[in-house]
Amino acid sequence: MQIQGYEFPEELYYDPEHFWVRVEGDELVLGMDDFAQKLAGEIVYVQLPDDGKKLKKGKKLAKVESGKWLGKILSPVDGVLITVNEALETDPGLINRDPYGEGWMYRIAANDVSQVEDLLHGVDAIQGWIEAEIAKHAEQA
Amino acid sequence: MSEKHPLLANFRDQIQRCSRCGFCQAHCPVFGASLRPALNARGKMLLLKEVLEGKLELGPELAESIFQCTTCASCALNCPSGVDVPTIIKTARKEMVDLGTCHPAFVAMDQVLEQHPNIYAEDEPEDFDRPRNQKAEVVYFMGCVGQYREEEATEAALEVLDYLEVDYTLIDEVCCSGVLEDVGFEIKPALAAKNLELILATGAKTLVTGCPYCFRTFNNKELYAPLKEAGVEILHLSQFLAGQDLGVHTNQVVTYHDPCDLGRHTDIYDEPRQTIKALAPNFVELPHHHADALCCGAGGGVRGAFAKNSLDMARRRLAEVDQVGAEVVLTECNSCVHNLANAKLRAQKFRVLTTAQFIAELI
Repeated sequence: MQIQGYEFPEELYYDPEHFWVRVEGDELVLGMDDFAQKLAGEIVYVQLPDDGKKLKKGKKLAKVESGKWLGKILSPVDGVLITVNEALETDPGLINRDPYGEGWMYRIAANDVSQVEDLLHGVDAIQGWIEAEIAKHAEQA
Repeated sequence: MSEKHPLLANFRDQIQRCSRCGFCQAHCPVFGASLRPALNARGKMLLLKEVLEGKLELGPELAESIFQCTTCASCALNCPSGVDVPTIIKTARKEMVDLGTCHPAFVAMDQVLEQHPNIYAEDEPEDFDRPRNQKAEVVYFMGCVGQYREEEATEAALEVLDYLEVDYTLIDEVCCSGVLEDVGFEIKPALAAKNLELILATGAKTLVTGCPYCFRTFNNKELYAPLKEAGVEILHLSQFLAGQDLGVHTNQVVTYHDPCDLGRHTDIYDEPRQTIKALAPNFVELPHHHADALCCGAGGGVRGAFAKNSLDMARRRLAEVDQVGAEVVLTECNSCVHNLANAKLRAQKFRVLTTAQFIAELI
């Protein structure tokens, strides 16, 4: 769905730190949402940890940078990093061009997929959150 | 008839002295990554000659050329005509700021430092869980990159100081703001005053910094003259550590990347090597080392404004690490380690660390 010019697929889960999660069985695919990629500007670097990295819910998974911003991606679940999108190593701008498709970032094996239920999900929740975020950032601008 | 570009006109002789030999192209990291003549010293001198002759405006269309230079000084070092390209570039940038044709990324940098105490406009520095603003023999100055982008490198430096039982304190430091003078603006007097106040209040007789750029700023800029006037010795961390008995060793194959701000700009080549060789006798030099070292691509604001080329420059440097077969490449600059670590490909199995990080692993 479109919310004030930002694309937010409604079937995804969203972390308030602006990354999306797609559930595929016991695995999760994670990326950056459209609001964040527009706010950050051109992404210039994405940290790609080694496969097999152990992850803890709420703890730093990796870092991502644009020219003016550094952000920390937090793991949404306890689990293990299965693989990363290696295309981002030399073309991090994929995140800007196609944040929900070719710009996916990490694939995670979740110990307990139900932990994603702590994230934002569903049209009403997503819309309320993003409208508040847009207003907050408009005030700060 | 008044001079249209009075600051640049002071360098008319040097700009005209450029013989277009192109020796600089062999050493310029921006040209090496981009192969674009307008981004190399020879191309820049051609453009500025046209500007001084009134054939070209010093307008925004020249920003990509004039502002895409890491000020590594490789060109000047190898110029047979003695053209001081970095100084000329900085002067041209200052003219462009005065004209309002400065690259927008650097206008933003100046504005950030008007309103924030660091170049990243960050509000929450890493705590490092150590006292600040105490009376001590030594002040350790972290620098913006050390506080906000390479916290692990800073933590390692502090661990090494703790291991050596150095009587040091951190301070609630703000950006030295020296980088602004590289990009056409000026050091912020309020930021300099804040740093001076905090440093001098500690009573420390030694100021140590892990950032070569802060080191140069404290040593060379007039606003920081009160430090030397107060008898404060200003050292880079590599100078402070040289000769210290760390009591640890490794057989790892180690190499060293000379940061431009420590090497070509301040002639500090031996001290880092003294420390590293004492730790790691299996030391190998990179193909380009000492004054001939390739720039990592981060300096002069290039990483912020031209990130793709900056990282391409870093990858060219890292290819030399593969060439010599090193397991670890060390450096003494947080900006270098940040850019090199970002640029390293997953397929490259060597590690990129500051010397302090390497020592911290061993102790």
